[in-house]
Amino acid sequence: MKKRIPQISPSERRMYGAFFCVIVVLFALCTAYTRFSPLELVQNSDNFWAFLREDFLPPAIPGAAKVENIINSIFVTVAMALAATTTAAILAFFVSLFGSESVSPFPKMAKVVRGFAAFLRNIPALVWAFILFSSLGIGTGVGVVALCITSFAFMVRAFAETMEDISQDCIESLQAVGASFPQRVAHGVLPSCLSGFLSWYLYCIEVNIRASTIVGMVGGGGVGLVLFSYIKSFRYNVACSIILLIAAMVIAVDLVTGRLRGELAK
Amino acid sequence: MNNGIRIAAPRRTRAGKLRIDCLEKNRAVPAFLGVVAGLTVLSLFFLQIDWLRLASRIPDIGSIFWKLLHFDLSRLDLIGEALLETLSITVLSTLYSLVLGLLFGMLAADNIFRVRWFSRLLKSFFTFLRAVPTPVWVLLMMVCLGMGASAGIAGLCVHTTAFFTKSFAESFESIPDETLEALEATGVGRLGIFLNAVLPSTLAQIIAWTGMRLEVNFSECAILGMVGAGGIGFVISSCIQGYEYGTAGVAIFLVFLIAYGIERVFVQIKKRIR
Repeated sequence: MKKRIPQISPSERRMYGAFFCVIVVLFALCTAYTRFSPLELVQNSDNFWAFLREDFLPPAIPGAAKVENIINSIFVTVAMALAATTTAAILAFFVSLFGSESVSPFPKMAKVVRGFAAFLRNIPALVWAFILFSSLGIGTGVGVVALCITSFAFMVRAFAETMEDISQDCIESLQAVGASFPQRVAHGVLPSCLSGFLSWYLYCIEVNIRASTIVGMVGGGGVGLVLFSYIKSFRYNVACSIILLIAAMVIAVDLVTGRLRGELAK
Repeated sequence: MNNGIRIAAPRRTRAGKLRIDCLEKNRAVPAFLGVVAGLTVLSLFFLQIDWLRLASRIPDIGSIFWKLLHFDLSRLDLIGEALLETLSITVLSTLYSLVLGLLFGMLAADNIFRVRWFSRLLKSFFTFLRAVPTPVWVLLMMVCLGMGASAGIAGLCVHTTAFFTKSFAESFESIPDETLEALEATGVGRLGIFLNAVLPSTLAQIIAWTGMRLEVNFSECAILGMVGAGGIGFVISSCIQGYEYGTAGVAIFLVFLIAYGIERVFVQIKKRIR
């Protein structure tokens, strides 16, 4: 009998084994519950391709007035994402100062601030949109507020973690020489954390460009609403060109933020 | 005294105080901040939001929350069923995409098979898939599979697979070339290198990405509900539109609890792995 030298330790092996078993059991349970099988997808793929070929392609261009409308709605979507993210970032910066135990002047309050952010963050943006639309009515302003809430909560957590990671000693030594809270923030936190904050900000822009399209679909305005109205009236080939336009917008924003991230991290 | 070391004169402000700002600043940062501030003000003007009217309705938010907090437990069976469906959709879409993402990530990383044009092609294809919003994919899948959970799973899978492919390929590419070369020198095949060197050393990152995506996929349940692919999102949107705030409140609260639970579990797992 050939005896092999085990490549990983037995305890680790047991852990991975248990992990794998849990995943398999979960998979089986969920498949049984939803009766989903990928084979169904293959079987119905004729349907899918026929729909894509006949209804979606080729992408059609509507009349000139509508094109102008669509282009305008793209700008509305970008403006919504930008306004929401920047407002959220400014608010999140001030709140996260109180949410980080090492920086905050009231360390005991930090848990409360973080708990509040966790509450806002764990309710999906679209559910916030539903709640706000039913209380404030439909419109771009409400869409901006809905986007603002989730990205604010996300950035409070991200900013607070960035502060905990970087500037522990720096803050302490500033405190020891008697710097006040605003001085500690301006000379301790900001110089060392700003690039981290900006990269989270850029990430949020990317997320919000996608989210503002989706929030737009349920009544936030912008290109999402235009797309949804074309889909609901079964004009799929116009919808197809709008989808391509959205994809181009998202890719363009991703390229810009990617470039900026490289530039700002220097 | 004069040993060749010259100390620069301390920098002073005009008033004669010592300057305490940093010498090596990144000049791009203030420019970026300025541009962003300008663009934000422009876009706020462009959107023409009637802030006063919005502000006057703020008390309504309070009343909505008050209504949502009057939990109505009479339709708990419906909520439970929808919640189980959403959880199944989340788990299945993440697992299927994990397998597909590992496969495509392996093909798309340009240090494993070293077919540059192929990995380029694959990456740009998945970039396109990622750029199209999720509801569109779910709607497309609904044409193919009909209403229900299957369309939700398949629709989420498209986006999640594209996300995993990109992030896994990036993780794989961050592995130092020396490791790969050492294995290559001992005569291990391409697949062997992937299974024995690349996969184990990126395992922690893969688990972190999976956890993050599980959270995202769970919160996309609202999107699925919006287009009619079932799950808890549908219950929430239809209850709010039908003014059954009590039921919607219970559903939203349960969504919050589960999302929070998933987040906590993965924070613990990440700590354990480090």
